[in-house]
Amino acid sequence: MTLTVDSVSHWYGDEQAVTDVSFSVASGELVALLGPSGCGKTTLIQAIAGHIQPTSGRISLRGTDVTEQPPESRHIGLVFQQPTLYPQMTVAENVAYGLAGRGVDRAKRESVVADHLELVDLADQRDAVPAALSGGQQRRVELARAVAPAPDVLLLDEPLSALDRALRERLCDEIDRIHRETGVTTLFVTHDQREAMSLADRIVVLNEGRVSAIGTPRELYQSPPNQFVASFLGWSTPLAATVSDHEPLVVSLASHALTLASTTVSAPVGASVTCQFRPESLSVIPAETATADDGIGGTVTAVRDRGRHYDVTVGVETGETLAVEQTARPPAVGETVVVAIDPQAVTVFS
Amino acid sequence: MSVRQTNKSPKAHHRLGLGIPAALGGLLVVYFGLPFVTFLSQTGQTAILTELSTPGARTAIRNSLLTASVSTTVATGLGVPLAYVLARRSFRGKRLVEAVVVLPLIIPPVVGGAMLLTAVGRFSPIGAAFAAVGISLTDSLIGIVLAQTFVAAPFVIITARAGFGAIDERLEQASRSLGYGPLATWWNVSIPLARGAILAGMVLTFARAIGEFGATMMVAYNPRTMPTRIWVDFIAGGINAILPLSLVLLAVTLLILAAIQHVGRIPTVIQR
Repeated sequence: MTLTVDSVSHWYGDEQAVTDVSFSVASGELVALLGPSGCGKTTLIQAIAGHIQPTSGRISLRGTDVTEQPPESRHIGLVFQQPTLYPQMTVAENVAYGLAGRGVDRAKRESVVADHLELVDLADQRDAVPAALSGGQQRRVELARAVAPAPDVLLLDEPLSALDRALRERLCDEIDRIHRETGVTTLFVTHDQREAMSLADRIVVLNEGRVSAIGTPRELYQSPPNQFVASFLGWSTPLAATVSDHEPLVVSLASHALTLASTTVSAPVGASVTCQFRPESLSVIPAETATADDGIGGTVTAVRDRGRHYDVTVGVETGETLAVEQTARPPAVGETVVVAIDPQAVTVFS
Repeated sequence: MSVRQTNKSPKAHHRLGLGIPAALGGLLVVYFGLPFVTFLSQTGQTAILTELSTPGARTAIRNSLLTASVSTTVATGLGVPLAYVLARRSFRGKRLVEAVVVLPLIIPPVVGGAMLLTAVGRFSPIGAAFAAVGISLTDSLIGIVLAQTFVAAPFVIITARAGFGAIDERLEQASRSLGYGPLATWWNVSIPLARGAILAGMVLTFARAIGEFGATMMVAYNPRTMPTRIWVDFIAGGINAILPLSLVLLAVTLLILAAIQHVGRIPTVIQR
């Protein structure tokens, strides 16, 4: 393993930011550290980079315990959310700075800088000062500066969060390309599940300072191991239900009985469970054309036109709300509807 | 025509709104300016260049420029590292250190000088120890430097601290992760980024040092600096006697003012 985080915990005074976090990143892998704001992601990155000393736990790079070592002794490339290019240096000098810091000789430095400015497609800006570059160009210079010394691990701490959406998507592709071309082991911190899904080989989901799940994006999306992962990765909405039969599993949602042939739960008949519904697996049918078996009844409370699809919010019989994503033209707010459910896409947690 | 009228009315309103503050402030500006005018109008009656070429005046100018430069160097060399520590670390007793740093600014210089005398005077343990090896800490150029540093160093510490405080710590963290130790990072990243604030602090310290009178008079009445000589000349010969040296001191001060405006970082530091 290139990077191993072993039972790391960290307190700020009396407040525990990170609790017993363990995961590892294999050579060449791109792992996303995903979680909502304030879940301890940045604390973890700072601990891995050596800018804070974790209260307990170990951090290893290429099998060597580096927990006690200062940042300059760890071979880590770091890109922050906010730009950290040195304003008094040119683009080329910024990229060369880290090479000089690692003792690369002057002649070699020149060619490595040139290669990496080429990599991020900024060879023509080598003598520019950072202030003269656009936000996206500055990001790319930072990536070049972090990657140029060939670090053991590249840590990206929300590198795209401060950018506008179009730029974010373009740089997402850029990071993907740089990762493929250099093969650098990367830990990508983000609160955006779409960035994590689209970039990562594996995702470490962090919630309230603890690891909530680890897996490939597909695994976590299709069979989330817990409710937090289900709602955070799939935007899915939970409804309370009651188990009414086993083999096949039948749960009742208010007056509606939902048969989930491909799911099993250990909860006994009569027990309360939570069903997670992904918006794209639901659709809204006008009440007059639906039959009682089609799904759960409710009233449309909001419709948002997203261009490619509509986000429809339905207040259902159980008194809860369901988020539905559909491409067909939805009913108007206030109309009575039935929400049709694809049983394959329901996840049940007891 | 109509465009001009719509342009004019808000402007007129604007001017009206600032009338009272402008009048009050103007009074103060006149009060500041008046002594310069009355003082400089005396200059016609004195042979300034002749007076400045006397050995006494030349020695005072030389002493002042020399000691203020040394004081500024000492204050910067010791004060900038202190400023960095204060900007970056919290530690037990930090408030006490901060209070000690500000103290020389708020106690009357003459009292500061008296306090220094008790610490380094000829009969104090420190003063006696230095005197034993032939170094006098009072009534010497060293004494002047001690007095000036005591009074003027807070300026460079406070200004540099604000400059360091304004640097995003992540720029330093990035440097550490690029393979540089704390000292190299300080030198390569922190100092260049705080350069404007440090220079502004040095200029202020130099200005305060070269004009220092109260503490210097207590610690080193001799050898003469410009301010102490101005005092002596004034006692002996009144206003006309001190015009030449005062003009030199004024000229140095104006140069410093120009330097500050050129460096141009003081407003940003204070705004931050």
